[in-house]
Amino acid sequence: MTTTIQFPISRIEGHAKVVVDIDEGKVRNARFLAQEYRGFEQFLQGMPADQMPVIVPRVCGVCSTSHHIAAVEALEHAYGITPPPVAEEIRHLMMVGQLVQNQATSLFFFTLPDKLQATSIFGADEKIGHDMLGSISKMAMAVRKIGTELISVAGGQFIHPVKAVVGGVVSGIDPTAAKAMRAKIKEALPLACSLFDEYWQLTRKMERSVGKWEDNDPFYYMVAVDKNDPTRPVDHVTMQKSDGSETITFRPRQYKEFLQFHRVQDSYSSKTSFNDLPIRANSLARMNLAESTGTPIADGYLERFRVEFGSPAHQILLFDLCRGIELINGLERADRILAKNLYDGEMNVPVVPRDGCGFGLVEAPRGPLIHHYQIENGLIVRAEFVIPTVHNNFSIERALTSMAKRYVHEDRIDMGLDRAMGWVVRAFDPCIACATH
Amino acid sequence: MRFAVLQLTGCAGCEVSLLNAGEELDLAKLAYMPLVVTAHDVPGVDVLLVTGGIRTDEDLLKLRESASRVKKIIAVGTCAISGGVAGLGDRHDIRELFLANTHQGRVPRMLPKCRPIDTEVKVDNYLPGCPPVPSLFVQLLNEPESLKSTSIVCKECGRRKPKDVRPTTLAHEIHKDADPELCLVKQGQLCVGTSTRNGCGAICPRAGFPCVGCRGPSNNLIEKDANAWFSSLIKVFAHMTDIDSQEISEALKSPHLALFLFQFSDYSDTELESRPKEKVL
Ligand code: SF4
Ligand code: SF4
Ligand code: SF4
Repeated sequence: MTTTIQFPISRIEGHAKVVVDIDEGKVRNARFLAQEYRGFEQFLQGMPADQMPVIVPRVCGVCSTSHHIAAVEALEHAYGITPPPVAEEIRHLMMVGQLVQNQATSLFFFTLPDKLQATSIFGADEKIGHDMLGSISKMAMAVRKIGTELISVAGGQFIHPVKAVVGGVVSGIDPTAAKAMRAKIKEALPLACSLFDEYWQLTRKMERSVGKWEDNDPFYYMVAVDKNDPTRPVDHVTMQKSDGSETITFRPRQYKEFLQFHRVQDSYSSKTSFNDLPIRANSLARMNLAESTGTPIADGYLERFRVEFGSPAHQILLFDLCRGIELINGLERADRILAKNLYDGEMNVPVVPRDGCGFGLVEAPRGPLIHHYQIENGLIVRAEFVIPTVHNNFSIERALTSMAKRYVHEDRIDMGLDRAMGWVVRAFDPCIACATH
Repeated sequence: MRFAVLQLTGCAGCEVSLLNAGEELDLAKLAYMPLVVTAHDVPGVDVLLVTGGIRTDEDLLKLRESASRVKKIIAVGTCAISGGVAGLGDRHDIRELFLANTHQGRVPRMLPKCRPIDTEVKVDNYLPGCPPVPSLFVQLLNEPESLKSTSIVCKECGRRKPKDVRPTTLAHEIHKDADPELCLVKQGQLCVGTSTRNGCGAICPRAGFPCVGCRGPSNNLIEKDANAWFSSLIKVFAHMTDIDSQEISEALKSPHLALFLFQFSDYSDTELESRPKEKVL
């Protein structure tokens, strides 16, 4: 007889649940199912291509910046346009702001409560004393806000940014605003480090009480960033086998030749595989494949990480620690970008729209994101979104299945199963609005 | 005052904006918001903020259940007010394509149309914006009486509108901000800040990008139908520029504008009356 247990998952972006199928006291499998859908790929058909940078950020309010920029890049690719370098810097700053915002949200608002047995960061305040800003939730909010302020400075507004346009950006960053922002980063950096140190200790403590979450069967890591600056996007996707034995790269326009897409019964999200194996994108992939973060404090954390956990490190729990390293790296990187001249010179080049097809690739916080548009008479006839969470789905389910086995026995199911399913999902920080779009 | 946030089908941007107001709010009073709080159901609270539109049967069920337990309901964001971006799929050809794509497994069933929440429950207030900026959430939750929009985005933008500058064509794809002091309409851009309610601080035009009207119409238009709203905008452009009104009228029908401009007027196939302006924040 098959028993099915369902768990709705909170503290992630969007609506999803985990379903565990149990046969005669044995876990058959655990599934991660997306429960919402809006249909962007359908309703964008027939819309003016030049409006994509305004409409598609609404795919997701958490990682809207990635969609905003991927849209602009896909159109530039279709029109054959290269934006001026200063515009690229400002877009990069927007993405770094988003990385800071996202990693702070995931670390402190989504997963920290698990490590303190609280239902939310606001509830965690009572469990942990702090004297700096009064409470851990206030500290976390202050650090997270640096990310959103960076997006605002570079993108005009932080939820659905507007400043990236085909050909460049609408305006530069005023030196006074840049200076003020750098001062805020300087203030936030030690705060972020002390929060992260605390988080690191709590992760170790959790590891001691629940054990390692290993998954040593083969899979592929997936990234689209520079090895020496993992905040900087590159023009190709890299797939590396978990044992390091194989590395393959492809261009965004080749994604269908390299990735296999699987539709899923009972879910509005599909799943992708590579060479018939699961894929892992997101922080752990970037940190494992990086030679250096390119900034000193984050490099210190990366070194410590490698000493403590090895390199490459595959434990599921380590996605979170890598997010912390990236949070610090993002703050340091943003400071360096803001030190440049982001004000003088041409912010955009002339644009002559044309029909055809374009691909945009960015590294979103959750991994490589591709937008693909086909344009006829200035209108979208086909829009495709290749979403990082979709790449992680097989890995999420494999990790869920192995975790569930610890809690399900012939004669009983341990109480903690509900909580443990949430831990595993949150380690991957999935985004359901993006995955289903 | 205890409050909760019910997330229906949306993008979570409204919740993220609320989170950004966190330093000025007492979030220990936040009893339910799946994005950041683990709790099974909407508890009895004083105020329920609803984000997102009614897209699935599950959205509908959750909304009805929660409504019975709360004192006051506030529709937050374009999605909750008009269906929002998911409502762009409510064109006949697209609806068929869309429904053909929603599969038959055990997933929440798609309703034929993404609906505003006031088609189902009584709404006490509307807070428009995509999303409403954090300061609006602070006002909404800390001093709701102070939250009255009486003006337009231009007032918060402050760009100059010299009478003798009159562009003759629309600068379509090109969003250049050649003069950061000069009104974008005067630069030939389709900025609708002239008729959009204030409250956001004019963040888009201040950064050099035209306002797309996400806060919805200002008070003197809000109770009128889409046509009145439409012709008023055309009049504004005729007053400020020499651009052919046919060109303006075509451009105003763009999906990215229509989505927001008409968020209060699309009642064509419902029994509902337009929303009274006193309720719109
Ligand atoms: S109103 Fe805008 S920000 Fe809010 S949920 Fe809808 S799309 Fe997202
Ligand atoms: S740019 Fe837009 S918001 Fe600013 S004054 Fe002109 S019309 Fe008004
Ligand atoms: S300027 Fe216009 S589009 Fe931008 S946030 Fe304000 S109302 Fe919305």
